[in-house]
Amino acid sequence: MSKSKSSKAEKVATAKRDSLLGLLKSQGAQIYNDLDKGKFPQFSVPSRSVSNIVYDKKLRQYVLGNTASLRSSRNMSQLRSFTQLMWLAFFANRLVHEKKSSTLRDVYYSSQAFEVEFEDQPESDNIIVDLEAVLARPREDFHIFPEERSSVFGDLTIEYTVPGYEGKRTNLSDHPDGYLIGPSLSSAELVDTSAELVIAIEKGGLFTRFIEEKVDKKFKAIIVDTAGQAPRATRYLLKRLHEQMKLPVVILTDGDVYGEHIAMVIKSGSANAAHLRELTVPDAKWVGVWASDIEKYKLPTIPMTESDIKRIYDLQKDPRYQEGIWKTELEIFLKIKRKAELEAFSKYGLTNITDIYLPQKLELAKSL
Amino acid sequence: MSKEVFNQISPSEFFYRNRDLAGFSNPTRSLYTAVREFVENGLDACDQQGILPDIHLRIEAMDPEKPDPKPYILTVKDNGPGMDSKQIPLAFGTVLYGSKFGLKQARGMFGLGATMAILYGQITTNKPVTVSSSVDGKTMHEYTMMLDIQKNKPVIMKHKPTDTAKKGLNVSITLDGDYSKAGSKIRDYVYQTSLITPYATITFDDPKGEKFQYKRIVDTMPPAPTIIRPHPHGVDVETIRRMIADTHYQVPVLDNAMIEKVKKELGLSKKNLNFEGIMARAEKKWSSLSRPVRVIVAVMSFLNMDFDKIMKIRLEDIDLIHKRLSYYDFGDAKLVTLEMPKSNPYYKQLANTVQGDSLITFLTKRFQRIGQATAIKFSEFANLKAEKRIGSFTNEELVQLSDSLQKYEDFLTPDPSCLAPLGEEPLRKGMLQFFKPDFLEVYQRSASAYSGFPFVIEMGIAYGGNIPPGKMTVYRFANRIPLLYDEGSDVVLKVVNETDWNRYKVKNESPVVIVSHICSTRIPYKTVGKENVADREEIEKELRLALQYLSRKLATYMSKRGLAEIEKKRANLYLKYLPLIAQFSTELAGKNKEPDYKKVIKDLNNVQVEEQ
Ligand SMILES: Nc1ncnc2c1ncn2[C@@H]1O[C@H](COP(=O)(O)OP(=O)(O)OP(=O)(O)O)[C@@H](O)[C@H]1O
Ligand SMILES: [Mg+2]
Repeated sequence: MSKSKSSKAEKVATAKRDSLLGLLKSQGAQIYNDLDKGKFPQFSVPSRSVSNIVYDKKLRQYVLGNTASLRSSRNMSQLRSFTQLMWLAFFANRLVHEKKSSTLRDVYYSSQAFEVEFEDQPESDNIIVDLEAVLARPREDFHIFPEERSSVFGDLTIEYTVPGYEGKRTNLSDHPDGYLIGPSLSSAELVDTSAELVIAIEKGGLFTRFIEEKVDKKFKAIIVDTAGQAPRATRYLLKRLHEQMKLPVVILTDGDVYGEHIAMVIKSGSANAAHLRELTVPDAKWVGVWASDIEKYKLPTIPMTESDIKRIYDLQKDPRYQEGIWKTELEIFLKIKRKAELEAFSKYGLTNITDIYLPQKLELAKSL
Repeated sequence: MSKEVFNQISPSEFFYRNRDLAGFSNPTRSLYTAVREFVENGLDACDQQGILPDIHLRIEAMDPEKPDPKPYILTVKDNGPGMDSKQIPLAFGTVLYGSKFGLKQARGMFGLGATMAILYGQITTNKPVTVSSSVDGKTMHEYTMMLDIQKNKPVIMKHKPTDTAKKGLNVSITLDGDYSKAGSKIRDYVYQTSLITPYATITFDDPKGEKFQYKRIVDTMPPAPTIIRPHPHGVDVETIRRMIADTHYQVPVLDNAMIEKVKKELGLSKKNLNFEGIMARAEKKWSSLSRPVRVIVAVMSFLNMDFDKIMKIRLEDIDLIHKRLSYYDFGDAKLVTLEMPKSNPYYKQLANTVQGDSLITFLTKRFQRIGQATAIKFSEFANLKAEKRIGSFTNEELVQLSDSLQKYEDFLTPDPSCLAPLGEEPLRKGMLQFFKPDFLEVYQRSASAYSGFPFVIEMGIAYGGNIPPGKMTVYRFANRIPLLYDEGSDVVLKVVNETDWNRYKVKNESPVVIVSHICSTRIPYKTVGKENVADREEIEKELRLALQYLSRKLATYMSKRGLAEIEKKRANLYLKYLPLIAQFSTELAGKNKEPDYKKVIKDLNNVQVEEQ
C-alpha cells in the first residue's frame, strides 16, 4: 500500500482528533472565562426528551429537534450534573490527548478518583450521552467504548492509528476467529479490500459457521457479527465500509420482530442515538429471516410471547415501518404469531443456510 | 321485723371506705399517690412562705428480696416552714384538717391528702407514721403516731424534741406498694414536677439505688397568691345560703356562756345592775358591743328583764314581719308572745341585726368585683330591693338572687390575684434546660374565668434540640401538678389533637414538646383522681388561643429553618462543586492558573433558590 495513502489515513484521523480537541478546549475556555468573571457558567444541552426526537425523512433517521435545555451551575439541582458533565469533558479530553481508551464501566469508576460521584453506571452512561449531544460526536470519538464487542472477518486491510501501532497494517482475514471491533479498529484507516459485499449477521454462532463455510470467499464478503443489537462501533464500521469502500450491506437476523428491528437500527439508527448522525447505513438491506420465509422455507418455529406481540404494535407506530417489507413483514409476524431463529435452518443440514438460503436471499436483495 | 341499726361513721372511716376516690385503690396507684401527696405538701408549704424548695424523696424496700407488691418506706423531707408542734397530730392524724381551704391557688385543697396516705400505710402494714418538724431551725419535734380511724383522732406513741440546725418537715410512712409497676410513673412525676417547678431542687432516691436529681434552674419564685372573696358568677344558692348564715344572726341561745359574754362586754362580770342600769350601760358601750350581745340587749329591752330574769327563759322566735317576739318561760312553763313596738329605740337595731346586712352591703362586702354602683344596678336587674335585709329573703327571693348573680353579665371578670401561674420566664428557662431545644416559645394568656372561677393558661412549645423525634409530647399541668393518668379524655389533648399541624409545617414525626399549665382556684377535673381536665368552653377557648399563638411562632421558625437548611445545603454544594468545575475547566481550556471562582461563591447569598 502506498505511502501517500498511509499519511492520508493519519491525516484524517488527526484532523478529526484535532477538531474534537478544539471543541473541548473552546467549551472549557468558555466555562473558565465565566468563572473568572464571577459568573455562573452554563451550557446548553440539546434536549433528548421524546418530544424533541423527530424522524428526518431526508436523512432517513431520527434526529433531535431544536429544543435545548440550559444546564447552569447556578441552579442548585443541576449543579451536580453540571459538574459531572464538566468532569467527563475533562476526562474525555485526557483520553483523546493521551490516545487512551476507556469503557463505559471504566468511566463510572474513574469518576471516583476526582470526587465526582455517579450513583450508578446508568447515571454516568447518561452523562456520556449528554456530552455526545453537546459535542455532537459519538462517544467512540472521545475513546469511550461499550463492553460488548462484535467482530469482523474478511479481506480488509486496515492501518492502525492508535499509539504504538501507528502505520501498522493488518488484514482482517488473517485470524480465523475474526477481529474484535474495538477502539483500535474504529480509529484505524480502511485501506483496501477485495470484497464486494458486507454481510452483517445477528449471531456469533452463525458468524463462525460462515467463516468455516468460507462465505467470505464464496460470496466475496466481509462478515460482521453484530452480536445482537449492533454496538455503535459496529454500526460506525458498517457505515465506513459502505461509504468509504463502497460496499453494499446486507443484514441477516433471526426471524422475529427483534431481528427486524436490529436491521432497522443499522439502516436508520435508534431513537436513543438521535443526537448522532454518523451511525446509519440508509442503504443497508434486510434480507432475512422474514416472516414470510418461515412459511416458505418450512422453518421450525416457536410461539411469540406477549412482549413480542406488544413490540410489533409499538413498531407499527414508528414512521419507518409504514411501507415496504418493513410493513408487510410486521403484519405477517402479527398474523402467524410465531418466530424462527437463524439456527432453524440446521433442521435441513448445517450448511443448508449457506448453501441454499443465503444465495437465494442475496439474489433477491439486488431487487430490493 | 328486724330493727335497723344506724351507726354514725367518723370522717376517717368514711374516707377509709372511700379510699379509691382519693387514689389509693391498689399498691401501684397508692405508692404513686402517696408520693404525690407528700411532695405536693412540701412544695405548697415552701411556696406559701416564699422559700425556694428543696425536696428530698426516698423510697426504700423493707425487704428488697421480696417480690412486689411489698412494704416500702416512703420518706419526704422539705426545707419549708415546718409546722407547729401542737398542730402536727391534728394535721397528720385527722382528715379534713388543712390550712388551704381559702379561695386561692394551691396544690392541696381538701385537707386530707397526707392523712389518707398515712391511713393507707397503716392499714396495709400496721406501721406508724413518723413526722418531724422544726419551725425555728433549733428544735425539732418528732412524733410517732397511728390514727384511730373510728374516732378521727391520732394516737401519739412517741413525741420527743431534739436539736436541729434546719427548718422544715420530714414525714415517713411504711406502705404496701409495687415499685416495679409504679416506678416509671413516679419517675415521670418527679421529672415533670421539676419541669413546672424550676425554682425547686428535687431529689429522688429510688428503691433500686438510683438517684434522680433535678437542680434548681431559676432563683426567683412566682409571687404568692392572695386569698380573695368569691366572684358572683362562682356561687350557687347553697353557697349564698351559707354566706348569709354567717352574716346574720340566728336567734341567740340564752345559755350561761352567752350571759357571761354579755356581762363581760358590758363590764358587768363582777357587778350586777338592775334593768335600767344595764340599759344605760349598754347605751354607753353600744359601739363596742359585738352583734350577739347587741341582740340580747335589744331583747332585754323589749322584755324589760335583767340578767336574773332573762336566764330563766328560752327565746323561741323573733318575728320581724309581725313584729312579735316569743319566748318560753321556764318558771311559768309557758310560751309568751308579745308585740315589739316600732317606737322602741332598739327595734331597728334588733331588726338590722337579726335580718343581717342590706342586699347592697351583703353584695359589696362579701363578693369581689361588686361596688356600690354595681350593687344598685344589679338589684334593679334582679328585681330585688337594694335595701332589703338579706336575712328576710324568702326562699324564692334567694333563688332569684342566685340566678341573677349567674345571669348578670356586667360584673368584671374574676380577680386573678388568687392565681399563681409560673410566669413566662421561669417556664422558658425550665423548658430550655430540660429540652435544650432549637426553638422555644412560651406564652401566658391573660386571666379569664369560667363559672366565676378565674384561670390562667400558660403554654410553651419547643422543637428540636434534645427532643427525640417521634410522637409529639404533651406535658399537662394544673396548679403546678403534673397530670399523668387518664390522658385520653383531657381537654388539653383534645385541643392539641384537633390542631391541623400541617398548617404549621409540623410533620407527624417532628420533635415537638408542648407544656400546658392551667392555673385556677378550681380546676374542673373530670374525676376525683385529679388526672384530667374537663372541657369547659372557656378553658378550651383559651387553650386554643394559646396554642394558636405558639404554633404560628413555630411555623415561622419552621419556614425560616427550612430556608436556612436549603441555604446551608446549597452553600455546601457550591463549595464542593465549584472548585471542581474550576479545576476541570482549567485543564480543558489549557490554562495554568485556576479561574478566580471565589467571587462566585461570595455572590452566593444573592442567588435565589432555584429548585425544579
Ligand atoms: N410539709 C409540710 N410543711 C408544712 N405544713 C404542712 C406540710 N404538709 C402538710 N402541712 C399542713 O397540713 C395540712 C394538711 O395536709 P393535707 O395534705 O392533709 O391537706 P391539704 O394539702 O391541705 O389538701 P389535699 O388533701 O388536697 O392534699 C396542710 O393544709 C398544711 O397546712
Ligand atoms: Mg396535701
